[in-house]
Parts: sequence; C-alpha cells; structure tokens
Amino acid sequence: MSDRAENTLLLLPGLLLLALAFFVPIAQMLVLSVSGETGFTLEHFARFLGDPYYLNVLWRTVRLSVLITLICVAIGFPLAYIMARVGPRLRLWLIVLVILPLMTSVVVRTFGWMVLLSRSGLVPDILRDLGLAGRNFSIMQTEAAIVIGMVQVLLPFMTLSILGVVTRIDPRLEEAARTMGCSFLKSLRTVVLPLAVPGIIAGSLLVFTLSASSFVTPNLLGGARIQVLAASIYRSVTQTLDWPFAAAQAVILFVGVLLILVPYARLAGGRSNG
Amino acid sequence: MVRSISLPLRLATIVFVVLTAVFLLAPLVVVIGVSVSESQFIAFPPKDFSLRWYEAVIGSDAFVDAAWISLRVAVLVTLTSTLIGGAAAIAIHRRALPFSGALATVFLSPLVLPTIIYAIGMLMLWSAIFGPVSIVTLWISHTVITLPYVVRTTLAVLSESNPFLEEAAQTMGANRFQRLWLVVVPQCRPGLIAGAFFAFNISFDEAVLALFLRKPGLTTLPVQIYGQLEFSPDPSVAAVSTIMIALTVTLILIIDRLLGVQKFASS
Repeated sequence: MSDRAENTLLLLPGLLLLALAFFVPIAQMLVLSVSGETGFTLEHFARFLGDPYYLNVLWRTVRLSVLITLICVAIGFPLAYIMARVGPRLRLWLIVLVILPLMTSVVVRTFGWMVLLSRSGLVPDILRDLGLAGRNFSIMQTEAAIVIGMVQVLLPFMTLSILGVVTRIDPRLEEAARTMGCSFLKSLRTVVLPLAVPGIIAGSLLVFTLSASSFVTPNLLGGARIQVLAASIYRSVTQTLDWPFAAAQAVILFVGVLLILVPYARLAGGRSNG
Repeated sequence: MVRSISLPLRLATIVFVVLTAVFLLAPLVVVIGVSVSESQFIAFPPKDFSLRWYEAVIGSDAFVDAAWISLRVAVLVTLTSTLIGGAAAIAIHRRALPFSGALATVFLSPLVLPTIIYAIGMLMLWSAIFGPVSIVTLWISHTVITLPYVVRTTLAVLSESNPFLEEAAQTMGANRFQRLWLVVVPQCRPGLIAGAFFAFNISFDEAVLALFLRKPGLTTLPVQIYGQLEFSPDPSVAAVSTIMIALTVTLILIIDRLLGVQKFASS
C-alpha cells in the first residue's frame, strides 16, 4: 500500500459521509426551493418577498440578530479581557462560568428564562417591586424576552472567540501605554480594543449566524405572534407541510447570512493581513 | 494589570463580573430550584423541598424512553464521529493528498452552515429516498454536525506534535499499521478525547435536527422537553432538565481531570 492509498483510506469515510449526508441534502433543498408542479419556478421566493407579513418576519430577524450581536460584544469584550488578565485560579472559575451554560442544552436554558420572565416570575416581580413596571407587566411573548434569552445562549460563543485573541495580546503593550501616560481606560480603548478586533469580528459572525437561524428560544419566549424567519421555516415544515416554501425561506436565510458575512469576513481578513 | 487600576474601576469590574455571572447562571439555578419544589405548579423560589418530581420522571415512560433514545444516539455518534473525524484529521494533517487545504474547509463546513438549513435538507432527502426517518437518520445527521469538532481538536493537537516521530518509527522498521496505531494515534489522544466529549455533548443536547427528524416513537430528551414546554409545562420538566445539567457538570469535571478545562475552552 502506498502513502497516498493509506491517506485516502483514512479520509474516505468522512468524505463519503459529508458528500452523501451533507452536500447532497443541501443540494436537494436548493432544487426543491425552485421546483413547482410544472418544473422550475421562482414562485416560492416571489410569495415570500411579495408578502408584507414575511418581509416583516425577515426584518425582525435581522433587527433582533444585530441587536443580540451588539449586546454580546458589549458584555463579551470586557468579560474576555477580565478573564485574560486575572490570576489562574479566578480564570478557571470564569471559564467554568462561561462553559457550563454553553454546554447545557438550549431547551433547558430557555426553560429557565420562561420561569424567570413569566408573569409571576422573578424578573417582573422585582421590576414591579422597584416600581419600574405596572401590575400587568409581562416580558414573555415580547421581543425583549427573545433578546434576553438569546444573549444568554450566545454570549459564551462571543466571549470565547474574543478570549482566544485577547490572551495573545502582550500585556507589556498595555504597560508601555500606561507608562506613556495613558489612563487604564484609554489604554484599553487604544491598545487592546484594536488588537482584539479579529476576535470581535469572528465572534460577531458566529453570534449573528446562530441568532438568525435559531428558532427554539424565539418560539418559546416570543410565542407564535412574534415570528422570526427560522421559526417560520419550522412552521412551514411541521404545520403547513409546505416543504418547497420552507426550502425557499431557508435559501433566503442562507443568502441573507452570506450577504452580511462575506463583507464582514473580508474586513476581518484585510485587517489581519494589514 | 487589574491591580494597577483605581479603586472605583476595580469595584466596577467586580460588579460587572458578578452581574454577568448571575445573568449566565440564572436560568440553570432557576430550573434546579423549580425541580425540587413541592408545588403542583412551576414556582421559583420553591417554598417546600421535595423530590416528588424526580420520582415522577423516573416513573414516566415518555421521559425514560426519550432519555434512552438520546443516550443511544449520543453513544453511536461519539464512536463514529471520533473514529471518522480522527482518521480524516490525520490524513489532512499529513498534507500528502492533493487539495489538502480545501479538504480542511470541506470538513469544517457543517460548522458554518446553520443547522436549521441542514435539518430541512436532511429531512427532505431522507423522506424522498428512504421514507420515514429513524434512529439511523439522527445518528447520521448528528455525526455530520459533530465531525468538524473532532477534526478541529485533533488537527490542533497534531499541529503541536513532533513531525519526525513517524519518520523515526519508519527508520526503526515499524510497518504502516504500527506507525499509525503506535505513533500517530497516541499523539492525537488529547484531541480525540476532547472531540469525543464535544460530540457526545452536542448530540445529547441537540434540539434542531431532532425536532425536524422526529416522529412518534422517536423523541429525544431535548425534543420531549421542548414539547412539554410548548403545551403543558410542569415541574417534572425541571427535574429532567436538572438531570441534564448534572450530566453537563459531570462531563466538565471529567474533561478537567483529563485535559484541563482551560485547554478545552481554547479549542
């Protein structure tokens, strides 16, 4: 047996699996999204893009995903920076703090938020006691509930992405900035933040994609009234059984994600090269 | 570095970390709290302590069957994904085949594509060719989405390994199989272990594929929980969820023993 034969043999099971069980299903879905009763058609796309209801679903998905990504950056960057700069003992605890929720099923975590945010739950209770909310105040079945739940679900991805980059930043760079008279916050802004940009971009891509394509948390926290694109896809598959329409929506989701990812990834590539 | 900052900033840092910790852990703590309550209804904080909902779960066919299916799928997925992914990573690492660079991209691509898109494709293809979905459908599709994790962790470990050991073994007369099994695979071990844990955890907790590929009699634990949350949540859901959290904690403890959680987090 030659070297090439050995390596081919090692690679073949994985390649076959991916070809038959990953690329073929996606191709099948692409075909289905443009197939009508009499051959090729764009009617499923036209139906989606011509209906104000679905356009609203699309717009909500984009808006919420951007908001969730921004909040994750705002919490994730300082958290990752603190994790990178504390002592090893505390760092271990912080890593467990991030990994424990990450490894817990999304369904379980969403359940926790359902209990916390429900009308008689802890969060509305506290807000009422503080006088910040009226008696009938409820967060469940609102976009706010979706954002809160999704940020908790996705924050670990952002934090770990940024952490990977921040730990490689030489602390002496910050010391140098401090010696030159920078305040702590200024050294953070002018030294650490620019160097952390690749991590922030990688984390944002991940969080945005995951956010735009998730439906478990939005379905349970937002309810049927507040649909996002992925939830609408799920409904088309399981309730109306309109698979070609579901496929068309999935293609729109994928194209939408790509439209935002590609320029963003270019930006990241350009920065890390330059 | 943190020590050299002013007192108000240090206090702000502590407040920030505590608030973030509360935010990240709150849903888990609440679920555990609900599970040990005596009440008929979902209530937090619990008023009376009781393990009745755990008894209810153990006596429930729906939960026990779902747990059994989840466990079987996760074990099958862990074995196949680690085997196939590990082998592929070794071949990719050697860079001996044409298109080596592209191969890594191909193997990592399930990571980039949103699971929901893959889930629809898999459901449509499977129904068109094989008919009703089965445990095999879940096994295959979970293996596809966990494969990138195994490939990535194994490649990461291999990139730090000594490239001359294989050559040395060859010089000493080791045959092809001995080189692979006695020299390369042991070097991969930390990556394979980390990948196996990823694969098990992802498969056991996975809800998107399992929701699309469900049918009566084929319900995994996350799907069972999701269904109850949609229609009739009671504290028994919290008990099952708590068992799943306990499993996660156990996995993290084992990972820390074997590899160190810090290393795991960076891969």
